Parts: sequence; structure tokens; C-alpha cells
Amino acid sequence: MLSALIWIPILGALIVGLLPGSIADKNVRRVAIVTISIALVVSLYVVTQFDTITTGLQFQEDLPWLEPLGLTYRLGLDGLSLPLIVLNCFLTLIALFSTSVTVHRPRLYYSLVLVINAAVAGAFLAHNLLLFFLFYELELIPLYLLIAIWGGARRGYASTKFLIYTAVSGILILIAFLGLTWLSGATSFEYNPALSQTLPLTSQFILLGAILIGFGIKIPLFPLHTWLPDAHVEASTPISVLLAGVLLKLGTYGLLRFGLQLFPQAWAVLAPYLAIWAVVSVLFGAFTAIAQTDMKKMVAYSSVGHMGFILLAAAAATPLSLLGCVFQMVSHGLISALLFALVGVVYAKTGTRDITILKGLLTPERGLPIVGSLMILGVMASAGIPGMVGFISEFLIFRGSFTVFPVQTLLSMIGTGLTAVYFLLLVNRTFFGRLPDQFANLPDVSWSERVPSLIVAALIVLLGLQPSWLVHWTETTTTAMLSDYSTIATPIEFDPISVLPLE
Amino acid sequence: MVVAPSKSTHPLAEIVDRIESGGALLPESPTNLIEVVGVLKSYGVVLDAYSINLKFIADNQFLVLFPFFKYFNGEVTTKKLLKHWWHDRINYEFSEYCMKAMMWHGGGGLDSYLDSSEFVERAQEAIQAKIKSNFFIGNLSKIFPNFLLEQVRMSCYYSAIGQFWTVMSEMFLELSDRYDNGEINSIQDVVDHVKAGLVNNAALPITYGVKVGDRTYDIIPESAGLKFLMDTAVPYVEAVFFKSFPFMGTISYNAQARQIPQEQERFNYGALYADPLPVGGGGIPPTLLMQDMTHYIPEYLHELYRESLRGENDIRVKICISFQKSMFCVTTAAILGLAPYPIDTQNPKEQAENRAYLESWMDKLMESQLIRFQSSNVQTD
Repeated sequence: MLSALIWIPILGALIVGLLPGSIADKNVRRVAIVTISIALVVSLYVVTQFDTITTGLQFQEDLPWLEPLGLTYRLGLDGLSLPLIVLNCFLTLIALFSTSVTVHRPRLYYSLVLVINAAVAGAFLAHNLLLFFLFYELELIPLYLLIAIWGGARRGYASTKFLIYTAVSGILILIAFLGLTWLSGATSFEYNPALSQTLPLTSQFILLGAILIGFGIKIPLFPLHTWLPDAHVEASTPISVLLAGVLLKLGTYGLLRFGLQLFPQAWAVLAPYLAIWAVVSVLFGAFTAIAQTDMKKMVAYSSVGHMGFILLAAAAATPLSLLGCVFQMVSHGLISALLFALVGVVYAKTGTRDITILKGLLTPERGLPIVGSLMILGVMASAGIPGMVGFISEFLIFRGSFTVFPVQTLLSMIGTGLTAVYFLLLVNRTFFGRLPDQFANLPDVSWSERVPSLIVAALIVLLGLQPSWLVHWTETTTTAMLSDYSTIATPIEFDPISVLPLE
Repeated sequence: MVVAPSKSTHPLAEIVDRIESGGALLPESPTNLIEVVGVLKSYGVVLDAYSINLKFIADNQFLVLFPFFKYFNGEVTTKKLLKHWWHDRINYEFSEYCMKAMMWHGGGGLDSYLDSSEFVERAQEAIQAKIKSNFFIGNLSKIFPNFLLEQVRMSCYYSAIGQFWTVMSEMFLELSDRYDNGEINSIQDVVDHVKAGLVNNAALPITYGVKVGDRTYDIIPESAGLKFLMDTAVPYVEAVFFKSFPFMGTISYNAQARQIPQEQERFNYGALYADPLPVGGGGIPPTLLMQDMTHYIPEYLHELYRESLRGENDIRVKICISFQKSMFCVTTAAILGLAPYPIDTQNPKEQAENRAYLESWMDKLMESQLIRFQSSNVQTD
């Protein structure tokens, strides 16, 4: 069942890539959309079959692959991966719908998007360290090409920067995986949370450090974030949707799965510093976003800030904060996808994303009123206004983290306040006021351009009003993650002997 | 025709020259003609509905302080009520907005008559007849003697605008019929038609009588001498085309930055000045009128709108632009009708006086939408 989620898109990519030239571009797009729709249906079927009470892996698949290397094809699903799997299919579909019907070289474009979908699904499902790494790297090349071929004016620079950063991230993660396996004397790369406990704390710190920096680049956290604004600005709208909505989640997923779960002892010791790092990232993202004049850069920096919340919650590692982590991943995925899709429409219609030039786009007949209204909804959700998904996730995170790191949590909450500042700046400058004469004759926004955003917006409100539909799938897993964590982590925290040698 | 020896030095000299040589404020162009005639046809239909309702309110809702069904023209049925709530109806609120603009800005013989003792006397008679059996209102009127009087003044404006629009509506519909018959072929023909209409009806008396019980009370008798052109048309143009009210939420002014003229009467927001872009938004009166006109746009104009970039999506903004163009034609007719001498006079002294008169109008129009309409493709701004 889980393999289907990986192989359906791969098969689709092959079909799309090999479709003869006589087939109209429109139909190529349809094949891609049908492929992802099938994957989405499968993922939803998995959701219905998922047992919310079981703590362990479900739907496991285990095939030997390269035994001497310790590489097995082992897939499994738990409450951490489940929402991300659905999010991946959903946002890929949204990205496909946001793609212009007249995109150049559609066969290559759609197959690359499908490969990304497969790779991300694989990474979320893999329960073999090496297999995860393979999928993690597999996603890199198509994304590089999607930015480098279909990107904006400085796409060469942005895509190369992305490639270098993410490749370094991959190398660090690989080093950590190899180190963990070899140092602990394991014979395979099976995912085993108990492995690190055989290692001395110093080795754990080094390995966790590699993991943190590796995934910190992907998330991205300050000061490893510099590739992200460039990549977003140059990437086309659907690719930005994918990048912010799904690919960044690989980083936060890795942080929980391979940081917190694989190195609980070291994690517990580093947690206060991680919380400080989170605060720096949150505030840096927020303050930098305030200074931006490019709408896309502003949304990109808001991502840096909002991803910081996840690090804070992961550092706090309470049942509520971990639930908040997963919720924030989904919530940020939906909200940033919505914002990027809308910025894309504004850019397509006005030819600029500069908030010092744009004005009055809410003008009812000649402006972009529906796009503007959705944008207001999106920024409200992002700023954590109750009734939308952003409120639930941020509330869970702050409520969960406050007991452990009160100061850091309060400082992060300032970041939420600042979200309202920069997004109000954006909305106020761009959408209110009188439409300037240069924009008085904007082309029409078609329903096909609005529908993806409308669906995402509906989901943002729906999950904001009914968060239990999401919490329900994850709660058992995050609580179980923590039951392991607290038994391992607690003695260390109060054991002066094992901490002393560090100083 | 001999034109004045020297050219005008006014910034809008081009327009002055055009009017002096028999043209209009709005340049001649086939598109302009279609827009103006088409929108005036639709406006004629809407004005007819407005005027019927205004006269109904004046005559039948006299001193009804809670006129819940004033837009129903006396026919209150469930079907009509549902249609009213559904908002797929004529927005009579717009006509009241114009009435209030006229009442607020005043001007003309009607304004001074309503301040005369004759009016007060006649109005009081009607008021007393109306409230004699109403204990509450009777006492309220004793405490606030001007309250009901002001209501009567408002009824007078309801009636006056209603009478004015009945004439205008007929004039515009006749224009449309003449266009359909091929008699109207240029903007100049439109201006001539409107001017002739204004001049022919200039002396039409404006009267208002209200029936209370069995007796009719003449509040504005014919003997008051109020006439169509000088007492309704001219103050209406001044109040609605020029001054009007600012539209809430569409623009902010900074008085300290001198964005507001020193003399208040030079602060114009009226139909000739209004920004068409916010049309479609809630809470601004032009949206109501444009919405009403969408139902009666003739096919040839609809076709023109459909061919433009946003098709029917911004139709109300497009109608507003066309409407402003047509109102400049009405203004041209008014300017010509009120000119001290015929515009084609050969007498240099009269020409000079006409020139000064036209330039004083141009001063007023400097900041209007007129300047935008001078280029060829205005529908797209």
C-alpha cells in the first residue's frame, strides 16, 4: 500500500516524460493531475485504514535490497508521517493546478514534479536510514532543475545556491547516519531509536550536531537560511508552493525523526540551546520580513520565522508541543502554499511583487478582489488569528513549550506579533488604497487561477475550526515518542556526572 | 464662422476652442457616441423608475416618519418584499442620495422659496392637518417646531427632483429612439438634443401639492414661480454634478497638506469628478446607479463592453465612465443654454464675453474627469 504512494508518481513521471509529441500539452497536464489525484486517493484510503490507537509502525513493508550495505526497502507509517503524506499529495495537486497551462517543456516539467512527489513520499515513509537518505537526495535534482529551467531572471544563481546548500545538508545527514551505524556497531541501517544509547555522549553530540545542521539548512534555520529567499524569489509559483509547503517539512520531519527520536539523550542536554536558536530564528525571520519590499521574499522570511516555532516545540518536547510541531508543519504547509499561490497570481497579473509599487488591489471591479480577500485570510491565518489553522498550531506550541522554556516561548510569541506587523504592512500597502492608474486595467483572474487557493483557504478554516480531525491521527504517536524520550532523557538531565565532562 | 481673433490662453484652451467652434466638452468619436447614447438610454429607464418613486414618496409618504415601504410605490406584497431583500431591484436609495445632495447644497429659486414665510405658512397648514389626530407627534412638533417643517422641505425636494427627472427621462429615451432611427450621428447631435430639451422645458412650472384627508394643500403653488430650468436643473447640476458628497472609504484628504481648497465651495466630488474605479464597492452611491443601469444597457453598448479586456467583470466601472462622458454632454448643453450669447455669435464683444464665460467653466472643470476623456481610448483609462 505504501509503495503505491511512491511508485504511482514515478510511473506517472515515466508516462508523462515518454508521451509522444503528438499528444497535446493540455493532455500531458491532465495525465500528471490524474496521477497525483490517484496518489491522493490512495493516501486518503491509507488514512481511513490507519489505526489511531496503535503506537508502532503500520502498513509496514520490508524487502531486502542491498543486504551487504545494510540497505533494505523498509517502509512504515505512523502518526508523524501520515499528515505529511497527505499534505504532500494535496499540495502537489495544488501546485499542478497552479501551473500555467502553457508552461514550456511540459513533459519534463510535469515528470520532475511527479518525481519530487514520489521522493518526498519515500522520505516520509522510509524506515531505513540509507533509504531515507536516497529519497532525500532524489528530491534535490528535480527541484534544482525546476528552479534552473523554469525560474526567474537569476535562476542560475538561486538554483546553484540551493543545490550547494542542500547537498551539504545531505552530506551532513549521511555522515550522521554512517557515524551512528558504524560507531554503534550495527550491521544495517535499520531505523532504531535505541542505537544511540550505546554511544558516549560526546559522540552523540557530534552526530546530533551534524543532524541539526543538516536539517537546519533544509528547514531552514538562521543562519543557514540564505538559500531559501533566493530560491523562492526565482522559483515559479507552483514550485514555491511545493518548496514551502512540502519540501521544508522534510527538514522539520528529519529533526523530529532523526534528531529527537534517534538521539534523545543528547537532545535533552542541547534542548535549552535549541530553544534559544529557535528564538533567534523566529525573531530574525520576523524582523527581516518587515524590511522586505518583495512580497515573495516577505513570505519566504516568514517561513524562516514560522519554522523556528517547530524547533522551539521540538526542543521543549512535551506531548502538547510535539503535537504542535506536527500541526505547525501542516498549518505552515497550507498557509505558505496559499500565500505563495496568491503572490503568484498578483505577479502574473500586475507584473510586479514590489509592495512599494502595488496598491489598491482590493478594488472591487478593476482590481483582484477575491485574490485580495484570500490573501487577507492567509495572512490572518499566518498571524495566528483564532478560527484558522495557524492559531491552533501556534497555541499548541506555545502552550506546550511554556512550561519548559517560559522565556524562550514568550520571546517567540513576539515573533507571532511581528507576523501581524509585516503581513499587515503587505496587505495594507498592496491591497488597500486607490488602485494606481498603471494597474487600472489588469487582466481578469480566471476561476482556474482562484480555485487552488480557494480549496487551500477552505482547508485552513476547516482545520482551524475542527483541529481534532488532524490531532486525532497524530496524538498517539507524539505521545509515544515522548514516553521513550522521557525515560531516556530524564536521568541525564539530573545526572551531574555525565554532564560535567562536557564543560 | 469668425472665431475670436486671439486663441484662448486657458490651460484647457483646446476645449474652449472646440466649444466655440460648435463642439462639446467630450471629443467626437464613434465609440464616445455609442457609449453616451447607450448609457443615456439605460439612464432614461432608471430615471423614470426613480422619478415615479420620488413622486410617490412626496405625495403618499408625507410626514410618515417611519416610511418602511417607501420604495414599494404603494404595492406591498410578499413577492415584492422578497425581491427587495434579495436586492435584485432598482436601488431607489440613489435617487434619495441625489435629493439629499440637492437639499444640502441648495441654490436656485426652490432653496429660497423653502425659506420664505409663504412656504412656512403653507407647510404649517398641511402639517396641522396631518397631525391633528396624532397626540405624540403633535406634542413633538410643539417642542421642536422645525422638525416637521424640515420634513416638508425634504418632501418638496423629493417632488421637485421627481418632476425634473420625469422630463429628463423622457428626453433621454427620445434621444435613444432618435438614435435608433438614425437621426443622431454625433456627440454634437446629442448635445443639441439635450439643449433643445432643456430650453423647451425651461419654463415648465414646478409645483407640489399634498392631499391630507379630502383637501389638497398646495405647498409649492404655481404662483411661487418655480421653473424647471433655473430652479431644478441648474441647482441639480451644481449639487450633483459638481459638489455632491465625498464617498466614504474611497479617498482620504489631508487638509494640512492643502489637499482641500481654502474655499469650501471649490471642493468638488460630484458626478463629473468622481473616481470611477471604486465603483462596485459597497457603501458608495455610484455603485447603486451603475448596478441599476446594468439591467437596461442596450445591446450595442453591451457588445462594446464585452469586447474590452475584462469583459463583463468590470461592467459597472465601464458604465460609470460612459455615464460621466454622457454627463459631460448634458453639462455642455447646460453651458450652451446658459451662455450670455449664442455661441456662434459674430459680434467680437459678445464672443469675448462668451470666451470669459467658457473659461470660468473650464476653471471649474480643471480637476474633473474631463481631462481623461480627451484622449481617444478612455474606456480603458
